[in-house]
Parts: sequence; C-alpha cells; structure tokens
Amino acid sequence: MSYYFAIIGTQDNPLFEYEFGTSKQGGDGQARFPDDAHHLNQFVLHSSLDIVEEVQWTNGQLYLKVIDKFFTNYISCFMTAGNVKFLLLHQPTATAAAAAAATAGVSGVTPVANPSRNSTAVGANPTSPQTEEAIKNFFGEVYENYVKAIMSPFYKVNMGIRSPVFRQRVAAAGRKYL
Amino acid sequence: MSHLGPGKAVSSKEQTGLRYPSNGKTIYHRPLNRTKTAELSQSSFAYLFSEMVTYAQRRVTGIQELEKRLNLQGHPIGLKLLDLLLTREPPRSQTRPLTIIALLHFIKINLWTHLFGRQADRLEKSSNPDTPDEYMIIDNEPLVNAYISVPREMSQLNCAAFVAGMIEGVCDGAMFPARVTAHSVGGKEEGEMWPGKTVFLVKFQPEVLEREALIGKG
Amino acid sequence: MVRPDRQLQPHSSLQSNIIGNVNHATVISTVFALIIINKAGGLIYNRTFHEGGLNKISTNDYLVLAGTFHGVHAITARLNPLKPITNPNRTSTTSTFPSSTPNPNTGTPNPSATPNSSVPSVPSTSGGSYLTRPDPPAGLEVLETENFRMQCFTTLTGTKFLLFTDTTQANVDLTMRRVYDMYADYVMKNPFYQLEMPVRCDMFERKLGSYIREINNR
Repeated sequence: MSYYFAIIGTQDNPLFEYEFGTSKQGGDGQARFPDDAHHLNQFVLHSSLDIVEEVQWTNGQLYLKVIDKFFTNYISCFMTAGNVKFLLLHQPTATAAAAAAATAGVSGVTPVANPSRNSTAVGANPTSPQTEEAIKNFFGEVYENYVKAIMSPFYKVNMGIRSPVFRQRVAAAGRKYL
Repeated sequence: MSHLGPGKAVSSKEQTGLRYPSNGKTIYHRPLNRTKTAELSQSSFAYLFSEMVTYAQRRVTGIQELEKRLNLQGHPIGLKLLDLLLTREPPRSQTRPLTIIALLHFIKINLWTHLFGRQADRLEKSSNPDTPDEYMIIDNEPLVNAYISVPREMSQLNCAAFVAGMIEGVCDGAMFPARVTAHSVGGKEEGEMWPGKTVFLVKFQPEVLEREALIGKG
Repeated sequence: MVRPDRQLQPHSSLQSNIIGNVNHATVISTVFALIIINKAGGLIYNRTFHEGGLNKISTNDYLVLAGTFHGVHAITARLNPLKPITNPNRTSTTSTFPSSTPNPNTGTPNPSATPNSSVPSVPSTSGGSYLTRPDPPAGLEVLETENFRMQCFTTLTGTKFLLFTDTTQANVDLTMRRVYDMYADYVMKNPFYQLEMPVRCDMFERKLGSYIREINNR
C-alpha cells in the first residue's frame, strides 16, 4: 500500500505534497510507486478536483471520503473551511486491488457504492469502513496541524507550506493511522 | 510542484536555516483549543488598534482609502479565524457553511463570540428587491470603536472597517466572495441609546446567489 | 475575547483639605467647570457644566487663566515654608498620601521644597535620616474662595486638571479620578487625538457630560 498526499490551495495550486507507504502489517513506511507513477499521481490527484467541486456543495462535511477512482488509485478528500483540499491517493497492493475491483465491478469514476467488507486490514480495501475511519483520523490530525500552520502571521493564503515541523507531523500521522 | 519533492524536503531542516524557539516549542506544540475564558485586556487592544488606525492613516488620500486599508488589515484575520473556529467546533457540528444563511450565522455567533465575547445584535436581509445580494450584520456598539471619536471632517469614517475586513475574509475564505463595508447609523443627538451603532453591509458577488439558487433546487 | 478593564492604579490620590463642615443634607453640591492644561501651560480643554456659578469669561481669558495658573503652580512647587521632613514611617504614610506628581517646570525636584502639607508634619523622633527620598513637590493643589473651590490634579506627564466646584462639594477626589479615567479612555485611546493639542472628542464630551450631570442633579 502506497500513499500520495497533497494539499491543494483555493486556486487549485499545490501547497504541500508527501509520499509515504503503509506502516501497518509490517510495512516500512516507504512508498512503493512505480518509477513513472510519481508524475502520474499528480495528474490523477489534480484531475479529481473537478469531482471535489461537485461534491463540496452537496455535502457540508469536512471529510468527503473516497471521491474518485482511477484504475487502482483511490482518492479521498477532506475540505477545510477555507476551501483548501487535502487529497490522499491510495493505491492498494496489486492483489488487494484486484479483489476490490472485482467486487466493485467497472465502476468508472463514481465512488464504489457497495464495497466488500471481508477484509479488515486498513488500506487493503480502500472503501471499507476501517479504511475510511483511518483516513479520517489521518486527515483530522493533518487538519489540526494545518490550522496551526496558517496561524503563523507570516503565512498568507495559498502559500506553500514549507515548515519541516509540519512535514514531520504529517509523516507521524501517516505512520500512526495508515 | 517538483521543488517540493518529497525526498528533498524531508531533510530540509538544516538547509532552511529555520530557528526554533529556545524552549524548542513551535506553534505545532501548542494546543488549538484554548480555554473559553481566555481573555485579553481591552486597554491593550484599544492602544494597539489606535496605533493601527494611525498607521493606516499615513499617506492616505481619502477616507475611502483609509477604510480600504483597515479592511485589508482585517481580511487575513477572517481567513484564518474561519478555519480556527471550525476546528474548535465539536465534531458533529463541524460542517462547512454551504448557504448564505449558515455562513452569516457562523459570523454572527461564532466569530462575534470569539472576538467580542457576545453575539452580534442583529442579522437582516435587504428589503429592497433590487438588491437581493445585500445582507446586514448589526452591532449596537462595536468594541473596536469603544474609545474612538471620529473628527467632524471625517464623519464618513467608521473604524469598524477593520471588522468589516474580517467578515470579508470569512466570506471569501468560505467561497462566498463578498464586499463588506461598515456604516455608522447611530444618531448624534443627546440621549441616543446607541450612538455608535454600526451596520456591516455584506454584498455578495452575483455568482454566490446563482449557486445558492442551484443548491436550493438540488 | 476582550475583557474591559477599568481600573487604573491610583498613583496619585488627591489631597483633600476640606475646611468647611460639609452638611450633606442641606447643601447642593455642584461641579461648575473643568479645565485641562497641557504640560506647556496651554489650555487644551475647558467646559462649563453649570451656568451662574462662575462669571463668564472670554476664550482669550481662559487661555490667559491657563497660562497664569501654570506659572503660579510652578512657583508654588518651589516655595518651601517647611523644614525638610524626615519621617522613618514615611513609607507607610506615603502610601496614603502619595502626592508624587513630578512637576515638569521645576526641573530637578527640590527635596527641601515641600510646600503642600499633605506630608504629615509629625516631627521625627528617631533622628533625621535621608534614606527615604521625599516626594517631589506637587505644587498648588487646592484653592478655596468663598464662592468656589478649585482643585488641581497633575498627572505623571504634567497635564493638569482643574475642577471648579462648590465649596461644599464632597468627594472631589473621586470626581477627579473619574474625569481622569475618562480622559485616559476617550482621549488618550483615540487614534485621532494628537498629544498636547486641544481635546475634541465627541465620546469624551458625551461621557463627561452625563457623569457630571449625574453629580449636579444629585
């Protein structure tokens, strides 16, 4: 399981990005994306912003769950009050993804409606309630740190977040929940 | 985006030349939820605000420009408070405002209570059918104006333009772009109950109303 | 949130040398007028609260009066009819009579000049000692005539408040204190007030007016 996390500003501009892998089930926390996937991930993530714009006005929740899927890439979204988006691309390992895809059928870009619940491992099944909850906790912790970051008097809206402390905090949240 | 590459930035602690506070505690080590009773001295605020007005007054050509500057001073505060106040909400009521009414209530209740320790006095919608995009937040005696007497030759000025800027920041941040201005409406006669009464006129951009109509249908 | 803090620490309670016997039941006490003189002796504020108590004088005369008083005050601060007082218990007594208002016109405070008898003239019994410095002289504080009583209060920065009252007026100290509070709030915290310049603050006028009216109608 590998993750690619990005914070996107109100002008659809990236503010922060971070790649990491799962730390559960003996994972070493390293991202295992194919070499050519790094740039693809950015495209996949940003292409889901259109869906975010549709969903954000029908759902006032901060956590919008899985909003988009591109082959084996699932995208979860969290909207802050200030319309900054936290997007997490999660890519299950090949076997788990195949299982999930088989149950979901060819669902295209709409969120998977009725996920199989046979796997309890966080991340193995991207749409299981366990995974949803874990991602929610991850986003919640990042949001808290994000709010602290923007409280800086030197921070203006849509500025990149370059604080190493913030990066450490995101990494810690990733290790803790995903 | 590539300059923010994950591999490089992790080890950027030494390169940035970032200095930590001597006790090692950055803002990330502090809790977001301060106690509800955390208060500040009104006098220190009054002196600070007085200096802010004096600062804004330097080299301005007119009252409109002065109000614009005060507005700009407040704008980033609004943007930041929007996120801060929402994180302080209990989890189940933690929702983004999706309608104009929800947003104005957030301002009237949450923002005002946080800033001034009480709610705004009234919320009104423009009764004029030509301006359905105008809403009014009314404060009978704005705290920022508590000690301010505006000279006669500047009678158009209301220093609560600073608060108007904060409101504008909240509206802009929540994707309800608006123009907010502060107007004095209190009577000047003796015995007037609220001589400092101020109306914050919130004028939303047309696209906000368009979207509001669409959401209402859906 | 901002908390209102009203309390200024009293750093100079005013000496009260009330001579006449005040009978609260029969006398009507009235505050006639207030004059504020800046540290250079210029008149920056004058207001009459009660017609008929004092003769009317022209604006020019007011300016002359302010300047004259300023000079007289400076002279009285230099006059010294008393021997230097050395009281071992001074520290405790000064806390009740700290007329520690430096007079900017006297230059260096003259330790031997202690014209106001607020300092208890109890001769030292345990031998003279200059370990505790005497307060700098405060100059004229009260002037009584058969028609009115004038009390002067000098702030730490040398601004003088003159309050003209009935000879029977009680608690002038308290009134003076409130007037000074209001000056600190509505004049000094006003971004449009320039130091040492004439006071033109609506809010000050209003609050002062209603406070004095309350006293005069009692």
